[in-house]
Amino acid sequence: MGTDRDRGIEKHLPLRRVEFHILLSLATGERHGYGIIRDIEARGDSTPPDLGTMYRALARMVEAGLIEAAGRRAEDGEERRNNYRITNTGVRVARAEARRLETMMQAARVGGLLPKEVR
Amino acid sequence: MSNARLLKMSERWFQLLGHLYPPDFRDEMGHALVEAYIDSARDTLKNRGRIHLMTLWFRALLDALRNGPAEQARPAASWRRSGNWGRDIERVTRRLVRSPMFAASTIATLTVGLGMFAFVATAVQRVLIDPMPYKDAGDLYYVWRDYRPVTDVARGALAGPDIVELQKAGAVIEGAVGMRPMLGGIFSLREGSEPMEIAVAQTSPNLFDMLGVKLEMGRGYSAEESGLGPGREQVIVLTHHLWNRLGANPGILGTDVRLQGRPHTVIGVLPKDFTFVRNDASAPPQRVDAYIPFEENLAAADPQSGAYTGLIRVRRGSSPDVAAAAVDAAGRVISKRDFGGRSLKLYPVGLKADTISRIQPALVALAAAGIVLVFMLMVNLASVLLARVSQREHELAVSRALGANTGAILRSTLLEGGMLGFAGGVLGALFASWGTKALVALAPLDLPRREAIAIDWRIAAAVILVGSLLGILGAAAPAIWAARTSLSSLLAGGSVRGGGGQSRWRRGMIVAQVALSLVLLSSGALVVRSFERLLRADPGFRPEGVLTVKLRTPPEFFPKPTDAIGFQDRVQDALASIPGVSGTGAASALPLTATAVFSSFQRAMTAPGAPGNTGDAEQDKLLIDFIGVRAGYTETMGIRLAAGRSFGKLRQNGVAEAMIDIGVARRFFPDGSAVGSEIRFGARPLTIVGVIGQPRMYDLHADGRPQVLVRAEDFGMRPLFYVMRTSRDPHSLLPDVTAAIRRIESRVPVGDPRSMDDLVQASRSPQAIGASLVGSFAVGALLLTAMGLFGVVAGSVTRRRHELAVRLAVGADHQRILWMVLGEGALLVSMGLLIGAPGIYFGYRAIGGLLVGVSPYDPLALLASALGLFTVAMAACYVPARRVLKIDPSQMLHQ
Repeated sequence: MGTDRDRGIEKHLPLRRVEFHILLSLATGERHGYGIIRDIEARGDSTPPDLGTMYRALARMVEAGLIEAAGRRAEDGEERRNNYRITNTGVRVARAEARRLETMMQAARVGGLLPKEVR
Repeated sequence: MSNARLLKMSERWFQLLGHLYPPDFRDEMGHALVEAYIDSARDTLKNRGRIHLMTLWFRALLDALRNGPAEQARPAASWRRSGNWGRDIERVTRRLVRSPMFAASTIATLTVGLGMFAFVATAVQRVLIDPMPYKDAGDLYYVWRDYRPVTDVARGALAGPDIVELQKAGAVIEGAVGMRPMLGGIFSLREGSEPMEIAVAQTSPNLFDMLGVKLEMGRGYSAEESGLGPGREQVIVLTHHLWNRLGANPGILGTDVRLQGRPHTVIGVLPKDFTFVRNDASAPPQRVDAYIPFEENLAAADPQSGAYTGLIRVRRGSSPDVAAAAVDAAGRVISKRDFGGRSLKLYPVGLKADTISRIQPALVALAAAGIVLVFMLMVNLASVLLARVSQREHELAVSRALGANTGAILRSTLLEGGMLGFAGGVLGALFASWGTKALVALAPLDLPRREAIAIDWRIAAAVILVGSLLGILGAAAPAIWAARTSLSSLLAGGSVRGGGGQSRWRRGMIVAQVALSLVLLSSGALVVRSFERLLRADPGFRPEGVLTVKLRTPPEFFPKPTDAIGFQDRVQDALASIPGVSGTGAASALPLTATAVFSSFQRAMTAPGAPGNTGDAEQDKLLIDFIGVRAGYTETMGIRLAAGRSFGKLRQNGVAEAMIDIGVARRFFPDGSAVGSEIRFGARPLTIVGVIGQPRMYDLHADGRPQVLVRAEDFGMRPLFYVMRTSRDPHSLLPDVTAAIRRIESRVPVGDPRSMDDLVQASRSPQAIGASLVGSFAVGALLLTAMGLFGVVAGSVTRRRHELAVRLAVGADHQRILWMVLGEGALLVSMGLLIGAPGIYFGYRAIGGLLVGVSPYDPLALLASALGLFTVAMAACYVPARRVLKIDPSQMLHQ
């Protein structure tokens, strides 16, 4: 039933920018909302999403089962925060999105939009 | 300003912005969002300075302005917040199934109520609203003459030349037809075969064209077959009904049948669905079995003798005013020509209005009562649902806190009402389709067009729609109340469940119910009281145990008057010898069968030399009902003899005897000298032998035109109605009567067998229908109100048991508490009575046409309905209020 599962994954694609960022951050471990924003800024995205946009995305992604609440826990002596962690589905969706982006990049290179990368 | 303080302000700002998001999102994410913003603010302050904090505030505002409304509008989320229809229906169904008593009693109430409403709606729709089943029926009018300048007949028949004048009028009047009202006849298929009494109408040849009827077989008669004069070969058109009764012979066209013994050729059979009911507003309508053309030439008929009913068709779409003006214009010409300019106006009455005029008041009253009943059902449902919703207060508050929005809560409550109403509507329509059949079949309704009364899909759909709307509207108040509950208000209310707001609403509904009940009850009381007056009314004869039959003695069978009289003598002797018959007689017209139109027994009388005369010849003429009777009639009918004697068996040669009614006696012989005096009809003198109490010809409850009874034999009157008084069931005499008549003369059928009780019943049937239905609506309303009050008082006692316990503990005794609770109920009921009082007036407006001899302010009826309502209402309060007696303060306050 691999196709069924693929279809389950594909319905989430393409991801929105903020969603992909969230999955990217959570793929490396649990985070709280502001932590994710800091990750995004660290990634060099010049226009990080507004907090409202991100929390709405978090709510939707919890609903869709891509991420889940990890409970509140304290870290580095900070206050207790709502943390999120990525689910298996979330990992697969993130991978699928990355592959999709890669394919698009390849296409852009073949089409001459980007310089051809020499391995 | 310290950074800490700035952060505190930032937090407030971010919290404020959180309100732009929907509540459930705020519950789930709001806290984290604010925290994240505070983190961001802290970093900004630390790394970039205060100016940038301002920028953050501004960005946060833009963020909230964009994402808050976007989250509100997100389709998937609003779907989650407001639930979905399928799930709501499922949940409401489950809730109803879980409380079967509530669902069953509510649906049963709605079913009965809506079923009654459906019945009334059907009758109103079919009789009052639907057009008559003829082509452009709205353009058909009867034409009557107002004879009031010369007699007291406001609605008189037309003379032959009037019909011709209307036919010639042209312009707006496209056609005119004359009909002779209800000429009965003895009919047989062939010479010597079983005779039967049928109703025949003589009409102008173009009747069927005017009604737009296509004959099932054959053709209608032509102008050439009309007005041929007596003794010529006649043609006849049969109704489908009569044709069926004759065996539905497909080859009947062209055959000869006998009418009054004379051959008539069948030239046509009318279609099955064709009915043309002759009705004239004061007598039960009668079906016509066959149509024949006039023998006489209408133009040559006596212009003074009103023997015809006129029916006209006006140009399509002409307004009633235009029709009236055209008829009036034709009437003026005739008035000048035939009545020396005395204005005997002609006027049209719409065919339908004319046909239904007798039953209309009853239907209007029923329609009004039906509408009030629907309102009652609605208020009742509202009050029941409110009670139910208040039990779910906690559930509602919690689901609201969990994000259910106002729309969702409104909808689930409205849905509950709508589903109950829908179920009630469906069952009510079923109930009515069965009930309508039963009522039409069982009740001796002489409703005009009663054959049209059957529920159809349109009415069923309308009833279901009314039921659903009623349910939704009834649920509106509870829904709004439910939508206002919130967790905080519930917590603030503490242990007081079903807070004050809800009970205030229910009290308001009780007041409304009492007010509506009062309107229905007072209307019902008036209708019932008027009906009771009719029941007690003395019709001037004793109807019980009397059978009547009509026997024709047509000149074709009895050429000489003495032949007919001989036959009548033998019939009366034969009837008298039937076992169980204690008296017999006969009359040319039976009580309660007179029609204002059928004027053949109205005559002008004088009493020369009577002490009551004024000397003015015109004033000393009195228009009376002239009725021929045979010896034994007054005794058999139980007519009261006030003075003198009735007709003896033996007639005196050369002396015509008369009995006058008390009214005539007072008018002409105020000194009591009537008996032995003389009255005259034209030149013919009659001797008064007796004075009688009037056997009422028109209405049960009031005297009609004065009456003079003469011997039928003296005036050769025929046909006659025979009456037999018996100790048996009157109808059981019929086989004996038929056999007796056949032995005497096999060509004469026994017509119109009826008991006098049947006639009395028929004459009060509109009031009977009105009284039974309006009365049962009123009782239903009373029950609904009682149930509502019971619920409110029971709920109030339960809710206030702590407070009541405290009162008991500080010294009030149980009796006083009981009175206090009852007093609150009494206040509600009194308010309802006060508010409902003006409604009595509107109720009376609706039922006025149905009332007979009862004033709208009949104190007994009004007092009885108000007192009855109050008593029942207080009883409904008392039963639950007694629960206060069981309150044990010591136990209660320990809880």
